[in-house]
Amino acid sequence: MHPLVRWFHQLGSPPYFDRFAARWTPVAYIAGILVMAYGVWAALFQVPADYQQGDSFRILYIHVPAAWMSLFVFGLMAFYSAIALVWRIKLCEILAMACAPIGAAFTLITLATGSIWGKPMWGTWWDWDPRLTTELILLFLYLGVIGLYNAIEDRRSAARAAGLLAIVGVALLPVIRYSVVWWNSLHQGQTISLFGKSHMDASMLPPLFAMIVATKLWFIGSLLARARADNLRREAGKDWVLRLARGTEASR
Amino acid sequence: MSYQNYVIAAYGVFFAVLLWDFVAPRIDLARQLRAARLRAARTQTRSANTEELSRAE
Repeated sequence: MHPLVRWFHQLGSPPYFDRFAARWTPVAYIAGILVMAYGVWAALFQVPADYQQGDSFRILYIHVPAAWMSLFVFGLMAFYSAIALVWRIKLCEILAMACAPIGAAFTLITLATGSIWGKPMWGTWWDWDPRLTTELILLFLYLGVIGLYNAIEDRRSAARAAGLLAIVGVALLPVIRYSVVWWNSLHQGQTISLFGKSHMDASMLPPLFAMIVATKLWFIGSLLARARADNLRREAGKDWVLRLARGTEASR
Repeated sequence: MSYQNYVIAAYGVFFAVLLWDFVAPRIDLARQLRAARLRAARTQTRSANTEELSRAE
């Protein structure tokens, strides 16, 4: 068997996944914090102020990566849920459900920072604009997935029901993405393109890319930590969990 | 810095939410491990009691 395929099969084993997550969670967090430290420093002190928006544009460096993460995490959650529904892979159920609170956190950051940015630029904290409204619906969808997962006692049935909601909710992602194109929106159109020409000056881009990488690394750390906790909850009563708990006690 | 209060508020929200995202799984993890230790202690106590009863008979 190819080593990569063998590793993938091994990862499906709860004790193996626990060891894997315990090893890589701190690595992802530390890498994320280091990249984020550079990104925040450059965003606040290095890049020049915008000629129109002044320093308020610096909110972009947390708002945009968080907004991208809110969409990316939902897509990933639906992807894991689909795999879990089709092939009944327990680890994918765990990973899908671990995505939900992280995605909700990034959506909350997007809405809150957008609102704070909107007040000085638009003169209002909130507007029922297509982009803002669809992003708010995304937050409700995340909360729905979390609520449904915690409302059903059997973990596997709960993950299947919540996963189905996540899959259906994917239909919202293109609506959020193209809302500024399809409707007359108060929210500005697309200014940053990863593959095409961006409307931002090149001197303003490095911190943005740093923050995009940092939020991804942070997400990996948080996903592994949350998945590890859920894995232990599901495996409660098994010998390996007991040995791990005793080991943790002994190491104190 | 212009709009300083807005920038501070936005970055404050960002770091506060990330802090929660960092702390929450750690608390959950500690809770699961504690529950496992308590479960093991209960099982041990129960099996010890059963042994004592069987010796008394």
